[in-house]
Amino acid sequence: MKSSAAGGFRRSQHRFFALCVAPSLAVLALITLLPSLYLLATSFTPLNLTRPETQWDFSQPFVSYGQLVSDSRLHNSVWVQIKLSFWTVVLQLLIGLGLALLLNMRTRLLDALRTVFLIPMVLPPIVVAIIWKVIYTPDISPMHGIFRALGWNVPALITDPDWALTSIIIADTWEWFPFTMLMVLAGLQMMPQELLDAAKVDGATPWQLTRYITLPFIKGVLLVAGLFRLIDSIKAFPLIFILTDGGPGNLTEVTNYYSYLQAFNFSYLGFSSAITIALLAATIVLSWVIVRMVGWGAAVD
Amino acid sequence: MRSLNRRTILGGAVGALAAPAVQAQGGKPFAGTTINASCFQTTYFEYLKSYFPQFEEKTGIKVNFTMQAFPVYNQRTDLELSTKGSALDVINVTFIYSGRWIGAGWITNLDPFTKDSKRTPADWDPEDFAGGPQSAMKNAKGETFGFTWEAGAMILGAARADLIDRAGLGLPKTFDELIKVCDAVHNKENVAAFTADRLHHWNWIPYLMGAGGNVFKAPPENLTPTLQTPQAASSAAWYASLLTKYGPDGILSYSDDQAMRSQMSGRANIRTQAITWMVPLAKHAESTVQKTVRYGLMPAGPSGNFPGSNSHGLGIPAGSKKKEAAWEFIKWALSKETIAMVVKNHGYPSVCRMSIIKSPEFKQVLTLNGQDVAALFLEVLQLGGKTGYMKYRTVPVYPQVGDKINKAIERIATRQQAAPEAMKQAQAEAIQDLQKAGIKIDT
Amino acid sequence: MTRKARPRRGTRRDRIAMQALAVLLALLALSPFLWLLLMSFKTNAEIFRFPPRLLFDATLANYAALWTSEFRNSFANSLIVGVVSTTLSLVIGVPAAYALSRWTTRASGTITLWILASRMAPPIAFTIPYFLVYRHLELLDTLTGLIIIYLTFNLSLVIWMMRPFYDQLPRSLEEAAWIDGATMWQGFRRIILPLSGPGLAATAILCFLFAWNDFFFALILTRTEAMTAPVAVVNFMNYEGWEWGRIAAGGTMIMLPVLVFSFVVRRYLVHGLTGGALKG
Repeated sequence: MKSSAAGGFRRSQHRFFALCVAPSLAVLALITLLPSLYLLATSFTPLNLTRPETQWDFSQPFVSYGQLVSDSRLHNSVWVQIKLSFWTVVLQLLIGLGLALLLNMRTRLLDALRTVFLIPMVLPPIVVAIIWKVIYTPDISPMHGIFRALGWNVPALITDPDWALTSIIIADTWEWFPFTMLMVLAGLQMMPQELLDAAKVDGATPWQLTRYITLPFIKGVLLVAGLFRLIDSIKAFPLIFILTDGGPGNLTEVTNYYSYLQAFNFSYLGFSSAITIALLAATIVLSWVIVRMVGWGAAVD
Repeated sequence: MRSLNRRTILGGAVGALAAPAVQAQGGKPFAGTTINASCFQTTYFEYLKSYFPQFEEKTGIKVNFTMQAFPVYNQRTDLELSTKGSALDVINVTFIYSGRWIGAGWITNLDPFTKDSKRTPADWDPEDFAGGPQSAMKNAKGETFGFTWEAGAMILGAARADLIDRAGLGLPKTFDELIKVCDAVHNKENVAAFTADRLHHWNWIPYLMGAGGNVFKAPPENLTPTLQTPQAASSAAWYASLLTKYGPDGILSYSDDQAMRSQMSGRANIRTQAITWMVPLAKHAESTVQKTVRYGLMPAGPSGNFPGSNSHGLGIPAGSKKKEAAWEFIKWALSKETIAMVVKNHGYPSVCRMSIIKSPEFKQVLTLNGQDVAALFLEVLQLGGKTGYMKYRTVPVYPQVGDKINKAIERIATRQQAAPEAMKQAQAEAIQDLQKAGIKIDT
Repeated sequence: MTRKARPRRGTRRDRIAMQALAVLLALLALSPFLWLLLMSFKTNAEIFRFPPRLLFDATLANYAALWTSEFRNSFANSLIVGVVSTTLSLVIGVPAAYALSRWTTRASGTITLWILASRMAPPIAFTIPYFLVYRHLELLDTLTGLIIIYLTFNLSLVIWMMRPFYDQLPRSLEEAAWIDGATMWQGFRRIILPLSGPGLAATAILCFLFAWNDFFFALILTRTEAMTAPVAVVNFMNYEGWEWGRIAAGGTMIMLPVLVFSFVVRRYLVHGLTGGALKG
């Protein structure tokens, strides 16, 4: 009797939870799953909006994927993407870590500074792009003004082939170092004091403390932060859109940007869908790695 | 010439009389209608906006006019047209997109409007629009999809002609002279000899053609790209070095406006570009070179002189649900009276109605530093209309192919690639793109 | 329970040096942002002056010019789209977050991956199909169209932020209510929701900010009527005239609400961006 009542309660509990989850799953299916399938279907057509008859033309389903293989500009964009992702993630981790270690003291000043350092990250990305457009435009740039005053002849960075990608990397690093900083700070606050105390008793120097105690402890946090930044770096858009438009030449044209150009500047939606499917797959794989690393989805409790 | 002048004046008078007449009939069939119009940011519509109340009073149509940056406008309008949506009723038919938009059936044939005397009075005179610019607004059958308000005739403007004089030289008439002049004046008084914006697929082509090259084999029929030819490679190398050797710092990222400002502020001397960008050197309040600017024809190459001439027109999207009201607006905005008014009150240089271009008022407005720039403008327009060498630009795929050209010139100018290599890549990319667009090319 | 790390303590001199360094770095990091802020109060002539004058005649002309232009409408659009998409996401997502926190199911891992992937997917992956379908549904250039596509990231965000929040609320709370005879719904409604205040507020603000900051979706899916503020600012980058002052003023106006709200929820930023990848 008792167990059947508990079973009844369990059943109603399940029903309630299912009812709570159902609307979200239904909406998500409608707004994310269905469009993804649509994207997949489009990638099997040569859809070009100047020729409406190409819309549901599945006669050569792999023609766009074949073009992926032969398109040297796409290959170049992947390489640009790798360089951009690598450097931004590495720099953001280093700067974020350094700042977090510096700011990891409880004083009122540093508390305030922690908030101040967050500003670049919360600014709308388009405003970040505008800020750097100003910095990189020699006529009005305070940076170029200083260079001139020092008598240095510095070229316009966003059109200089040696500097264009670097200038994007700098801007992106500026925008997102607060993210890694914030995560590392959160990680540092979870450090058990015993560990540090024990090491101090053994006479460890601050450097040794950092190197052998702190870093190993926050290794996981750094990895997760790096993964998040890695996925995000695939989406890079406003900075490139405003600063370089992929140039000079194709030096800053990342895959996401190339896909955008193909779809919305030249109407090659079929081809662009094929590129995007590849990007989406990469995103899902990286997300899966995060889910595994963090251990989400393991049974709660 | 004289008869044309009289027509303009008469036209103005008729227009002035006609407006009250319409009102007296109470004929405002479109009262209460609102239309959405859009164009890239330009002084013509900036000026025209202040006269919109006149139009609204005359027709009862309210105009919601938005302007966007040039690349943003083109991209967004292209996108909107591709959906055949009804968000816009009047659009600017941008030169390099005209072939694409007309070819895809995205904009409306205007012949039914002009040929119907109830919709368009005879004195509106569609034949008055200069033939060269107007040809970009037509399809192969000769149907008209837009009427031009802007004829960008490419001329040469030397912001500091005094420096050239002092070097004992004159405005360059050939490519070789251009280099000679640049050599002589570069960095004199901290003025770079040459400047340009980054739209290379517009600025470079006259030099390419002058050197005997072309973009396509025989546009618009045969669109096989010819970017790989020895002429194209050597001309691209020549142009890239013109930019990097004689241009100011940062030239490769210059927008139209930034290039113009480099001249106005006296940081750069020579530029070859549409007249719209040249007149402000003499007229703009912020120009520091008003007294020293001089204009000339685009220099010629061994194969001839091919100054670019482009045009922008007003058209109606195929998806618009208010085409009649849209036509009322185009009719008003590009009437002889309205254009004459903008020229007279604001000195706008690059209009397309022959009756106005040939009028004494226009000549007076465009006499800059004692130079008859109106004559220069007309000369380029006629040159462009005569041989049809601008046809390369209005083929539907030019936006894509032009993009390849821009990238190639950038790669050469930034020394990422040698010219033959860069052009070979541009050729290969262009062919791939044309195939994607389903266009047959010679193999 | 482990003791949480106490702040490190160095010598007094070290601490002062470190704080000075931090202040210096903060100034350096913020200078690009401050420059834009200053620029928005400058006239064109002042913008091109170098070295800049520290004391210049500040002008509000840039702001005034903006406020009388179409920019005002785009500002309102951003506001409406942000508020509505936030509300919808909360209404749909909060019960799900609660259920997923309490309910042990085998599908939980898949659902988490799905939600994370929708959150992280490159915007273009949704933009292409939405663009193609919206043509036929007449949802291009409408606020409704934007609200729907903003759900793709905001609904996931709600579930993602609120689930760890509920994980931290002890189950004994609603269990006590059940024992007292309350239904599941009553337990959620009377016990859990009232305790969700801070989490809900932070989530709502973050949702709003993500919608407000979006550039890509609005760039592709709007034209004139539904244009949002970030797209409108890009429009000042004119064909004829880089109106730097106005661009800066527009940028400042867009970032102001963001700054204010961000400070309110700064504690939750990590959660919002990583979905509680860090617990604690």
